[in-house]
Amino acid sequence: MASVSEMYDVGWEEMRDKLRKWREENCRNSEQIVDVGEELISEHASKLGDDIWIIYEQVMIAALDCSRDDLALTCLQELEKQFSDSHRVKRLSGMRLEALERYDEANKDYDAILQDDPTNTAARKRKISILKAQGKSAEAIRELNEYLEQFVGDQEAWHELSELYINEHDYGKAAFCLEELMMTNPHNHLYCEQYAEVKYTQGGLENLELSRKYFAQALRLNNRNMRALFGLYMSASHIAASPKVSAKVKKDNMKYAAWAATQINRAYKYTDTLKRHIVHLGGHAEAAMKQYPLPVFDSGWLVAGPRRTNAP
Amino acid sequence: MAEPELLLDSNIRLWVVLPIVFITFFVGVIRHYVSILLQSDKKLTLEQVSDSQVLIRSRILRENGKYIPKQSFLMRKFYFNNQEDGFFKKTKRKVVPPSPMTDPSMLTDMMKGNVTNVLPMILIGGWINWTFSGFVTTKVPFPLTLRFKPMLQQGIELLSLDASWVSSASWYFLNVFGLRSMYSLILGQDNGADQSRIMQEQMSGAAMAMPADTNKAFKAEWEALELTDHQWALESVEEDLMSRELDFDGMFSKELPSGIF
Repeated sequence: MASVSEMYDVGWEEMRDKLRKWREENCRNSEQIVDVGEELISEHASKLGDDIWIIYEQVMIAALDCSRDDLALTCLQELEKQFSDSHRVKRLSGMRLEALERYDEANKDYDAILQDDPTNTAARKRKISILKAQGKSAEAIRELNEYLEQFVGDQEAWHELSELYINEHDYGKAAFCLEELMMTNPHNHLYCEQYAEVKYTQGGLENLELSRKYFAQALRLNNRNMRALFGLYMSASHIAASPKVSAKVKKDNMKYAAWAATQINRAYKYTDTLKRHIVHLGGHAEAAMKQYPLPVFDSGWLVAGPRRTNAP
Repeated sequence: MAEPELLLDSNIRLWVVLPIVFITFFVGVIRHYVSILLQSDKKLTLEQVSDSQVLIRSRILRENGKYIPKQSFLMRKFYFNNQEDGFFKKTKRKVVPPSPMTDPSMLTDMMKGNVTNVLPMILIGGWINWTFSGFVTTKVPFPLTLRFKPMLQQGIELLSLDASWVSSASWYFLNVFGLRSMYSLILGQDNGADQSRIMQEQMSGAAMAMPADTNKAFKAEWEALELTDHQWALESVEEDLMSRELDFDGMFSKELPSGIF
């Protein structure tokens, strides 16, 4: 099998820089990381210098994702040789045990870290992930709540909690978590959109109005968020169709829905012009259309979206 | 006092000015590495971490509360500020003002700070003064009054000499401060050889409230939060949005990523 450097004709510096880029952007493309990283550490270890330790960590976590236990073990052993008493390495060893489903041993590792350093957030989060992996979502939620009482600023944790609540269909509490995220990241259109979706799912006239507002806000922050556009259309038409609203509200919402519908049509016409443009460019139009039949957006999330519509 | 320019022996340049620069520089580098060795870890307690995050959250609530619905904002404000059991009212932390006498770790930190920074400066300044005495080293480019003479011209007993001509000790002190930017170039920012920064820190550290004073911080936050009102940023969001057509530029990426590179 051809190596990465042969296939793409790149040197080790480019591979190292690519790994750094993935590290900084927190990408989870584990297979690619394993391919590039494995070759880098086996062929070019001496040239990397001190970078190699963080690459070991990155490759190890990616290897656990791809079930490459052999590679993970090698990386871990190198790290343990170099940093014998480190909490960070201990956490990695715990993660490996988690991947092998030896949860009790992993928990022992994390407890040892916490005894030494009670402010260590990584170990506490791993313990919560163990509970989640074992399917004990109620306990995971409880532990995560306690964690958040101590560390109110941890945005990753708030997001994880909102996801757990959505899975339990506790939309009120999920909305609370998303509000925290919206406050700390007021310009992130994805949090607005997810909050709007949760409100929409909760249902009821007030929540529908809120959801319409937040879909509009998401669109204002990012004009290209198609999901928010569809959400705006659906919430507005839902409110307009409800029997309990006043005439003025009905008229306003129908206006919003009509506007949203026009924009959606415009977006699809935009695809058409692009399709013709691609055909002009030559050959790859079919492949392109097959791969991207719908607008591409950078949301990447799937939430319990508006599949249930409660009658207002 | 207009007078003809003094011509200094070029040996002075070779054997005095440059050696002092090198000495100062290397002493600074050594100080940097010694300070790294002597650094003690600061252990934060869980409570301190938690409190600092709570304060941040309250501040964010004040600044960005306008992005969440009014009800949610009021709920959080109530949680913090309620008369009976709001967080800021209820939580009282045990405050131990960490004076240098009672807190042993602070004492050792101060000692280390002094040893690594002030002591070498005094010692080397004195040694240079003793070694390179009896002649002027350089001329500062701006005129100075006669008051500066005894300070800057140690060991030179000439009444008529312009105060701009300084001795080697003053050249040494000039170097200590002037080489700061060299240190940041070579040792990176935040290095232990940067003496003036450390002195600044010491001065400001005494003036600013110690982190153990969380009770005062809580009170300040409580007051600030009481004063904040909720101005919903989303009042007219639909009208704003629909005032113009949506901009779909760049929605479709024409370049498909073909593999890793």
